[in-house]
Amino acid sequence: MGQEEIRGLLPVLELYLSNPLVIMMLEILLIFIKVVVVTLVVFSLPLPLTYMERKVAGHIQVRLGPMRVGPHGILQPLADMIKLFFKEDIIPSKADPWLFRIAPVISMVPVFAVFATIPFGDKITIPFINYEVSMYISDMNVGILYVLAIAGLSVYGIILGGWASNSKYALLGGLRSSAQMISYELALSFACIGVVMIVNSLSLVDIVKAQSGWHWNIFYQPVGFVIFFIAGLAEINRIPFDLPEDEGTLGAGYHSEYSSMRFAFFMLTEYVAMVSMSILAVLLFFGGWNGPSFLPGIIWFVIKVVLCIYFFMWTRFTFPRYRYDQLMSIGWKVLLPLSLLNILITGLIII
Amino acid sequence: MNELSTDNHKNSSSLSIKDLLKKVFFIDLIQGLFITFNYTFTKTITERYPDDEKWIPYKRFRGLHTLNRNKEGKELCVGCELCQKSCPTQCITVIPMEDKTGKGIADRIAYRWEINLLRCMFCGLCEDACPTEALKLGREYELASFSMQRQIRSKEELIKPQPIPVEFEGGVIVRATLEKGDKEIKVKPDLSVQKRWW
Repeated sequence: MGQEEIRGLLPVLELYLSNPLVIMMLEILLIFIKVVVVTLVVFSLPLPLTYMERKVAGHIQVRLGPMRVGPHGILQPLADMIKLFFKEDIIPSKADPWLFRIAPVISMVPVFAVFATIPFGDKITIPFINYEVSMYISDMNVGILYVLAIAGLSVYGIILGGWASNSKYALLGGLRSSAQMISYELALSFACIGVVMIVNSLSLVDIVKAQSGWHWNIFYQPVGFVIFFIAGLAEINRIPFDLPEDEGTLGAGYHSEYSSMRFAFFMLTEYVAMVSMSILAVLLFFGGWNGPSFLPGIIWFVIKVVLCIYFFMWTRFTFPRYRYDQLMSIGWKVLLPLSLLNILITGLIII
Repeated sequence: MNELSTDNHKNSSSLSIKDLLKKVFFIDLIQGLFITFNYTFTKTITERYPDDEKWIPYKRFRGLHTLNRNKEGKELCVGCELCQKSCPTQCITVIPMEDKTGKGIADRIAYRWEINLLRCMFCGLCEDACPTEALKLGREYELASFSMQRQIRSKEELIKPQPIPVEFEGGVIVRATLEKGDKEIKVKPDLSVQKRWW
């Protein structure tokens, strides 16, 4: 098809696109495509992330990490996935079979649901037909609230998994995770409130738009960011606060009794939760897709998220684990009062 | 217990402003992060053994036995059976024979010389007992095989020239390639590409 023919087709196309019914059909199709793309991308994210985590761990510990499957071990995650697929799926004889089966799914669904409202970039316009496509599935006016609420649901899967396995280690892991989630969810939400007060909106798109031109929230809310980050580490069960899966005292924690694909679901949940927490940190404090204009916004967004994930991995192989009472006292005695104070001071300055 | 509590009390009372600032700005944590960050970019100490690299031991290493020849190419072993007698685990079998063809340095050479590696503990007493320095423990250490028969090594194999020359100093990691045969798996070293292990 030549250039001339495309030009000849354009008016017809534009006429076609002005029909409201066609537009509605297109919108529905577009949302469907976006959902499928986002789900597939998020589903396949743990593969590169496990590889990255093992490489980061290796180099921090002055070794190489995976090297033997493919060049520099790049196919290692695929090999691991195949291994997990074909392993025996054991259900302990005294476990509650129904809950045991459904727990990984319960913990997995909310972390995926979070991605419904996360914006990956600004609107982009498809050339020739001047059709605007937004880089998010939906722009809710309560976006941040939705994210926090749904992400908190994922803990039910962990508790149910720990309970249904009928194992003391799994149960202790589940209990610890429930207590930890409840205490740190408060600090996390309060840290977000500081940002919301500055921006005057709960929508994630508006929050990012308010940070354009280097007015990143981290400069206005440094204390809020620190609280958010520490509470976030606790929320996604990563190392200074990974008590639910404390190898030293609990075997493997809430997923001790799980094997094969059900275990893979828990791993998937953990990695996707880490991604969504990094994305949230980038959206709320690092200006989302804002950045110097020589790169498109989505690239800036990905760079920032990857750096954030790297930081999570970096801390994992640097810090030791907190004791359980220390964890609770940090959550309730330090982070919660500090975040309330942060809200108070932010309010006073804004007035 | 009492000491511990007084210690705690002392610590809490002597919490200076400097310590407080250290806690507030996470100075210790950030220092720790920098240490691990520096380690990320230091050279790794991993030896990629079967795939790319192999450790060549020092000359004094006691590995698989070798039977040697003198400079004229004559067999040094005179079949004196001293190695067999000195062996604590009795894993060496020597059957001597008369030989007038001049294969060895004397009229007597070993008709059979066998070692059972399953019993050998590489103590090196046979090496010490050998009067003609025919027997030496070499630098070959990859002795795993697919069959038990392979673990009994005879003179015909041990008298062949060694892959690593005797003059080679050792104590280095060299480039290597993994070779899978029917009987065993060997890692073939390439002595020209070296890397010191420290």
